[in-house]
Amino acid sequence: MTGSKAKQLNCQEALRKVFDFVDGALEGVSLVEMRTHLATCRHCFDRAEFERLLKARMARLKANPASGELRARVQSLIEGG
Amino acid sequence: MSLTDEERREFSDVVLPLLDEMHALAVHLCRNHSVAEDLVAETVMRACENFRELRDRSKVKPWLFRILTNAFFSSCRKQKTRQEVSYEEVQGEDDAGSFSLFQQLSHPFLLWWGNPEREFTNKLMDEDIRRALAELCEDHRVVILLSDVEGLSYAEISESLDIPIGTVRSRLARARSMLQRKLWRCAQEMGFGVSRRRSRQEALKE
Ligand SMILES: [Zn+2]
Repeated sequence: MTGSKAKQLNCQEALRKVFDFVDGALEGVSLVEMRTHLATCRHCFDRAEFERLLKARMARLKANPASGELRARVQSLIEGG
Repeated sequence: MSLTDEERREFSDVVLPLLDEMHALAVHLCRNHSVAEDLVAETVMRACENFRELRDRSKVKPWLFRILTNAFFSSCRKQKTRQEVSYEEVQGEDDAGSFSLFQQLSHPFLLWWGNPEREFTNKLMDEDIRRALAELCEDHRVVILLSDVEGLSYAEISESLDIPIGTVRSRLARARSMLQRKLWRCAQEMGFGVSRRRSRQEALKE
């Protein structure tokens, strides 16, 4: 047994942790507590799902590859530097 | 100061695979392609000069992002474009991380109307997001880019921006609140707010 035991979160506590959850910053007991709450609370589950979806949409902005020119420029910088 | 051939090869091996990531960050920071390319080139040059500082190779990404964001912020200072930062920071002070797009979209009135949150995220274009993001001040933009676009952990963002983890959390919360406020405006333009008002009137008629 580790020191901290899982407790029941209320919605306010769960919503305060929603971004930590979506960002993958919860672990151990905190993560268990959050998952338990989300499994039983429709509202908080929907909120977490929405933030997760939005975060996934943000990630699409990453599709911005460097041009061949930039790649060549950087390569010559490294070789010359 | 210049690297040995061996070091140069190693530098290439760890830095070149991250070129697309650096470029994506630079593009959304600078909002201009040629300026972004210059920023990436400058970052690689500075990184090359300081490569020996990087002892832990697993931290190459936050290390590069730190060089890139520092170079970006120092060019902002030179052009004095950072004035808008304090303006927007002050503006955002009163709602410090409290605006929730979800709450706006999932008004209890319309629970019978379907799932407006999901409908909104489906209708939202990448361009809408890009524009909303571009309207944020640099400090807010960079923290969202590092977290949501580049997928960095709080600890890595803390290293990249040289701020404590607690500040990463609060700045990210505020930045998201501002971004969601802008996306809410976008949702209203798409008719989400309007339909809700109309539905409300219809509901009242019944
Ligand atoms: Zn709940």
